[in-house]
Amino acid sequence: MKKRNLWDILSTAFLCSLGVFTLFPFFLMIITSFKDSHEIIASGLNVFPRVPILRNYATVFGKTYIARYLLNGVIVVVFVLIGQLLVNIPAAYAFAKRNFPFKKTLFLCILAALVFPRYIAAIPNFLLLSKFRLIDTYAALILPSIASPFCIFLMRQYILTIPEVFFEAARVEGCGIPRILLTILIPMIKPAIGSFTIFSIVTHWNDFFWPLIVINSQKMFTPPAGIVFFADAEGASDWGAVMAAALLTVAPLIALFLANRRQFITSLTNTGLKG
Amino acid sequence: MLKNKIKDNVVSFALIFPSSLFLILFIFSPIVYSIILSTQRYRLGFKMRKFIGLKNYATLFNSPEFWDSLRITAIYTIFVVVISILLGLLLSVLISQRKKTGMMWQITFFLPVAATMAAMAIVWRFILDDNFGFLNNLLRAFGGTGRDWLRNTDTALGATILINIWANAGYAMVFFIAGLLNIPDELYQAAALDGSNRLQNFRYISWPLLSPSTLFITVIMTVRALTSFDTIKVMTNGGPNKSTQILSLLLYQEAFQFFNIGYASSIAVVYFVLVLMLALAQMKFDKRVYYQ
Repeated sequence: MKKRNLWDILSTAFLCSLGVFTLFPFFLMIITSFKDSHEIIASGLNVFPRVPILRNYATVFGKTYIARYLLNGVIVVVFVLIGQLLVNIPAAYAFAKRNFPFKKTLFLCILAALVFPRYIAAIPNFLLLSKFRLIDTYAALILPSIASPFCIFLMRQYILTIPEVFFEAARVEGCGIPRILLTILIPMIKPAIGSFTIFSIVTHWNDFFWPLIVINSQKMFTPPAGIVFFADAEGASDWGAVMAAALLTVAPLIALFLANRRQFITSLTNTGLKG
Repeated sequence: MLKNKIKDNVVSFALIFPSSLFLILFIFSPIVYSIILSTQRYRLGFKMRKFIGLKNYATLFNSPEFWDSLRITAIYTIFVVVISILLGLLLSVLISQRKKTGMMWQITFFLPVAATMAAMAIVWRFILDDNFGFLNNLLRAFGGTGRDWLRNTDTALGATILINIWANAGYAMVFFIAGLLNIPDELYQAAALDGSNRLQNFRYISWPLLSPSTLFITVIMTVRALTSFDTIKVMTNGGPNKSTQILSLLLYQEAFQFFNIGYASSIAVVYFVLVLMLALAQMKFDKRVYYQ
């Protein structure tokens, strides 16, 4: 055993205090969501409820379309991901393993698009979706996100590392492109697909900006837009229910994170440049 | 032979066609269209729409609101980036020394990165609430007086900066931890033989060898901070008295609340140029990310 010295004590104290600061909002959200609203107002520093109650959750499910928000969130996240993979993996394969005219130029365009801030495209995309009367639909939430230069970039980098022989052998045996993609490529790029999946789910579940712009009716809100709408409408009158709604919004990703800690952290660091 | 080549190219273009369609539709043509829109007087709901050259830009650069917003964005970005990176670096050094509890600490500090910021901003609104907020209760319990943190021009920007540091420090931390893992242990062992202490280890081994990571993290964090929207929109909506109106919020309000499409597009183009300059600086310094 190493002797505990001043450095250890100081650094542990620092980590603990910063840890408390980091976790406190989560702790307060959870604890308050089980607390009676009169008690929240009256109890001062005593954050624990006298008797934990579930009424706030009943309120949230009764007063808001929270179930619908969560369902919308799942629908958007799932279809965006499927769309992104379906559309961009073939392109990533072409950029990694095939030769064609203008390949370099086109790939440079994709690299450039990696760093474009979303705000530059927001207004024209809004106008385009309005023109086709798609405002307030799932299509408005899903379609623009399927364009993902980042997905192409990430997959292409990974496909580059696969030795040519695998594809050569398949070609010699007369496999067509669809079969090469499905039976050889997809199984081999599973780690990259995993990384991208986490990145995509986190990005689109948490997205607040785009739903705010293309959604008008409550029933079409995704969880972040829904919770903010609820909090603004309720004001400070029912913090317990607002915290319950916040918890329901945050919980799915936190659960996913805690279940896949290591992969989550590597995925979000590997995908950092598109954070 | 030639026929084969043509067939080959047809297959290649078929492979990239679907993704190109989406990219052109939702990313590339919108950029061109934004530039066109920025030269028009165009307000949604009004019939009149005409070319006015660079007038939107002239209005923008003559508007005190824009310069205020740019100043607020700069202050906000600098504080969030510098403090998040310093904290992340400190955390990574402390945590990477802890073999047994390291993962637990990483999870703790990474938690805000996985959380939905719009929802957590609501929780922070509750903590900072004037009447029932935990912070004011705490201050009052120790004899201080509470303040309405988010509705006070002196404190609102500081509060949003603090919350975004809370949200981002863990993100910087995991990059630094990855960087520290790449430094061979032998260097520290050799230094220990020479009687190097912790501070010297950091000064002469960790810090210089982390410098590529540091640059990379700085750029990522800067782009992140420059384009942040959620927390400020939810906590202050740019107020009070526009004291937290960062550029993304100014753009949002002009475009989607006042529907000043032409004018807002000129803000978008300026925004675009700012971020692009940063990205070009990154490519210049840090080739490893882009070309392999």
